[in-house]
Formats: sequence, structure tokens, C-alpha cells
Amino acid sequence: MAAFVAKRLLSAIGVLAVLAGVMFLLQQVTPADPVHAMLGANASQDKIDAKKHELGYDKPVLQQYANYMTGLLHGDMQMSLRTRRPVTTDLADYLPATIELAFYGVLMAVVLGGALGLLTAARFKGSGALRVVLVGFASMPVFVLALLGILLFYRRLGWLPATGRTAFTDFKGPTGFLTLDSLLAGRMDIFGDALWHLILPAFCVAIGPAVAIGRVLRSSLVGVLGTDYVRTARAKGLAERAVLFRYALRNSVGPALSMTGLQVGLMFAGVVVLESIFAWPGIGFYTVQSIPRTDFPAIAGVTLVLGAGYVLVNALVEIAQAWADPRLKLA
Amino acid sequence: MAVAEPYLSPLAMAPRTKRAWGWTTAVRRTSIVDRVGMGAAIGVTVLAIITPWIAPYDPNVPVGPSMSPPGSGFLLGTDEVGRDMLTRVLYGMRTSWFSAFVVILSGVIIGGLVGLIAGAAGGWLDNVLMRITDIFLALPGPVLAIAVVAALGPSLQHTLIAVMIVWWPFYARIVRGEIWALRSRPHLEAARLAGVGSARRAWRHLLPGAVPALVVTASLDVGNLVLTLAGLSFLGLGAPAPAPELGAMAARGMPQLLEHPWIPLVPGFAVFFLAFVANLAGDGLRDLIGDR
Repeated sequence: MAAFVAKRLLSAIGVLAVLAGVMFLLQQVTPADPVHAMLGANASQDKIDAKKHELGYDKPVLQQYANYMTGLLHGDMQMSLRTRRPVTTDLADYLPATIELAFYGVLMAVVLGGALGLLTAARFKGSGALRVVLVGFASMPVFVLALLGILLFYRRLGWLPATGRTAFTDFKGPTGFLTLDSLLAGRMDIFGDALWHLILPAFCVAIGPAVAIGRVLRSSLVGVLGTDYVRTARAKGLAERAVLFRYALRNSVGPALSMTGLQVGLMFAGVVVLESIFAWPGIGFYTVQSIPRTDFPAIAGVTLVLGAGYVLVNALVEIAQAWADPRLKLA
Repeated sequence: MAVAEPYLSPLAMAPRTKRAWGWTTAVRRTSIVDRVGMGAAIGVTVLAIITPWIAPYDPNVPVGPSMSPPGSGFLLGTDEVGRDMLTRVLYGMRTSWFSAFVVILSGVIIGGLVGLIAGAAGGWLDNVLMRITDIFLALPGPVLAIAVVAALGPSLQHTLIAVMIVWWPFYARIVRGEIWALRSRPHLEAARLAGVGSARRAWRHLLPGAVPALVVTASLDVGNLVLTLAGLSFLGLGAPAPAPELGAMAARGMPQLLEHPWIPLVPGFAVFFLAFVANLAGDGLRDLIGDR
């Protein structure tokens, strides 16, 4: 097992090194010149040359690449052209909000997807109509879901807030995760408020992945429910619930798990869109502000962080699968 | 001397399909939902082609009072500067639909070629190509696409290029898997013994077998692509300002959400409609071809 884990983590690091290389390449081809952007349009040629020298942009490309990679290893993601602060500092400010949203989103997606899979695998009338409803949800753009949610739950019913993370804007905690910090501080009012603000965005993040997870879980469950050992379990008089949860589910979660890992990638794109709608102060919001200013170092930083998250999650999923089913270690 | 080449069509290779293909087979294999979906997909394609002739107005010119609600002389209302929403949505759907097809086509061609070469050649070439594919697959595609467009500068062409870059590896994996499974089939050995060269074996004897899986995958993918492209456009990564793109229209209409909800919602529903039709039609095509 240790060797398997080491192998997976090593390949994850390799993939991230390639991603960093791609970001460096993109930075070379981008027409937006960082030095011009930093100094403004009226800077003299001397000043530009001096700045280029200071930042190492006049060095050979290979040496720039080496500098870029060593910088990354030391946590240096260059300066944002828009905020004029190190991208690493910016990300540290914005990342906790995104992680919190993504965490609750994944949680909700797994619970909803599991429920969907279990419900639809059990045979009942009207499953054809349910299929159309599921396809409908899978076809819904996240931004439409968010806009409809705001119209219904904020405008019409007034049950949920439309934007932001919390009404307690001056509350600061050690981790940056509001739901955790408020609990640590014993402030139940802030905890409730943070959850209140999380419901709608997290639901919008979760719905697409939930449908995908549910569909995969359903098809593997249907397969497992037709096997001989399930028939035996039923024949010896076990309750259907025990058959489903103790016998069938264990052998069906594998594909659903890998689907969860894959969906995290799509989810990140959804998170970027949703943060811009809900004014959620995370790295998606940061990205959307960086795009019109062609602040490439900032976008590269976000891509690297999200890429690292995705690669890490998928490595963990594979490890979890190998732990659940030791045969996978040989593959 | 030319040796008669043993050739099996993919239909003949598919198990349990001895019956001739015809209308009855198509009807028996598909549900009513499938047929409605496929019909709607054809309808949308026709609509996208004839948009310039049927759209009532110019998409980029104000034609009435701004923000008139749907039905007030304008079927879907007008936007914040008085342009006709119906016209703009029709043009936006045209762009989305064709863009999705262009990207799918590039994915099928690039991924198909890579998969075919890897699967047919085997050995070190297979290893190298599939390692590259795996690395691309291990990265979050949509996020990488955002970075590529941001680096190249926002425009529709750049968005399509970015999505093409992240989209092909999936197809390479599928085609390579199919080809690998076909390699050990007897008809390939027969072809080899008949003296058919390796390139011709790959093209005429391996590739046709991978086509059904490729078609099914591609058709199920159109909906995802419509959604991904709309998301990028929503983030401001599509064509610049006045162009009628559905995602960008929804994003720019967002400030009107509470007062004039149709301005952001109508383009959003159009995206939903396209993805829904594409997904139903994809399911239908899968049932029709009868693969997996």
C-alpha cells in the first residue's frame, strides 16, 4: 500500500510540473507585456529596460524557465499586474472562501448523488419521467440555476441572502474558514449566518456533479443488484435495506468515487462562475476581476492552485479505491 | 498480384445485429423521448443554419424602447439598450451550436488520430502518446481553458482553440481502447496474412470498428460542450461586447435580474434548451447504435 501511495503521489507531482511548464509557455505567448502593464504606457524605454533586467525578463528563455520553476517551489508566483501584490499573498486571502464553498459543495453533491442513485436504482413506476428530469438538471447551466435561485429564494420568498459570505464582515479567525472559525470562537450566530450564506451557492455547485454521481451509482448498483450473491442475500431473508446498504452498496461505490474525482474538475469551473454571481470573495471572484485586465500571473496562480487541488483529490480518490478494492493496486 | 482483402464492416462485427437496418429497427431500439430529442436536434441545426434569414432584426442595433417585457411587440422583449432579444438569442444559439460541433469535430479528429496511431502502432509510440494523453486528462480541463484564453486574449476563436486543446485527450483514450480490443480479432490476423500493410490495416480494418464508440461519445458530449462554452462566455472569455453570445448576454444582463429578469434569463434558458436537446439526442443515438 505504501508503495502504491508513493507512486500515485509521485505521478501527481509530475503532472503539476507539466502544468507549471504550460503556464510558463502561456506566459511567453501572451501579448500582454507584464513590464508595460506595471509601469504604465508612458514609461521611458530606459525604465522599461531597467525593470526587465530587474525581473529577469532579458535573460534567455531557458534560464527564465528555471527561475520561474524555482520561484514556484519557493511559493513565489510573481506579482499580480492588477493588485500589485504577490499573487501568493492574494491567493492566501481569497483561497479559504473557495475551499469552504467547494467543501460544502462536494459534501452536498455526494449526499444528493448517493440519494439519487439509491432512489433510482430501486425499481418503481415513473423512472422514465425521472430520467428526463435528471437530464434536465444535467443540462442546466450553473449560472441559470444561480439566477433562478436568487429570484426565488431571495427576491420572492426572502429566505436566503443573495450575495456575500456573511453579514459579520469584520469577524476574522485563524483559518479563514468561517464555519470553522466561528465554532472555534464559540459564536453560534456567525456560524448560522455563514451556513445561511452557503446554502444557495453550495447547492448550485453541487447539483451538476450530484446528477453525474447519481447516474453512475445507479448503473453500477443495478448491475450489482442482479448478481447471485445479492439473490442469495435476499433468499436467506435479509431485509431489503440490509441487502442494499451492507451488500450491494459496498461493491458499487467504486465507479461513483472516480466520478466524484472527475467532477471536481468541472466543479472548479462552476465555482469560478458562481463566485462571480454571488460576489463570493474566493479565487473565482479574483479570476473574474483579473480577466479583463489580462492579469496573467494572477490567472496562472489560480490555475496552478486549482490544478493542484484537482490532482490531489484524484490521487486521494485512487488511493481510497485501492484501499476499498485491493485488486486495483495491480493495474 | 492483388490479394482479395478480407473486410468486415463494423455493422457486421457488432454482435447480435443480423437484421437489416431500417425504420422498424430504429423505432424498436429507441424510446419516444429518444425520438423527440433527435428530432429536436435536427430542428435546432436547421434553425441555426437559416438564422440570418428568419431573425426579425439586426442583432447589434437597437430597434425599440429598452427593456420592454416579452410579448410587448417583441416576442422575447428587448435588452438594456433596446435590441431585440429573440434575434440576439437566435444568433447566440447559432454560435453556441456550431462552436460545439467545431470543437467536437476537432476532438474526434485529433483524439481519433492519436488513439488510432497509439493503438495500432503499440510499443514505445503507444507509451509516449498515452502518457501525454494521461497528463492532459489529469488536469482540470475547463480551468486550463480559462488560462489559455486569458493568455491569448479573449475572443471566440481563442476560446475555441483553448477548449480544443483540453478536449481531445478524452477521445484519444476511447479510440485507443477500442483499437486495442480490436487488434486481437481474427479479421485482423487474416488481413495481416493476406499481406495488407500496417497503415491500411489501421485505416480500413481497425478504425471502422472504433467508429460506433466514437459517435456515441461525441454525441453525448455536445451538451457538456455547450455548457462549458457558455460558462467561458459568461466569464467574459468569448467574443467582445456587442456580439450576441448567450453566456455573455446573461452575464451582462445580470444587473437587471431583479427588475427585468428576462434579460439575463432568456439567454440562460436558451443555453439550457440547447444542452437539453443535445443530451436527449445523444442518449437517443446511443440507444439507436446499441453500443454500451
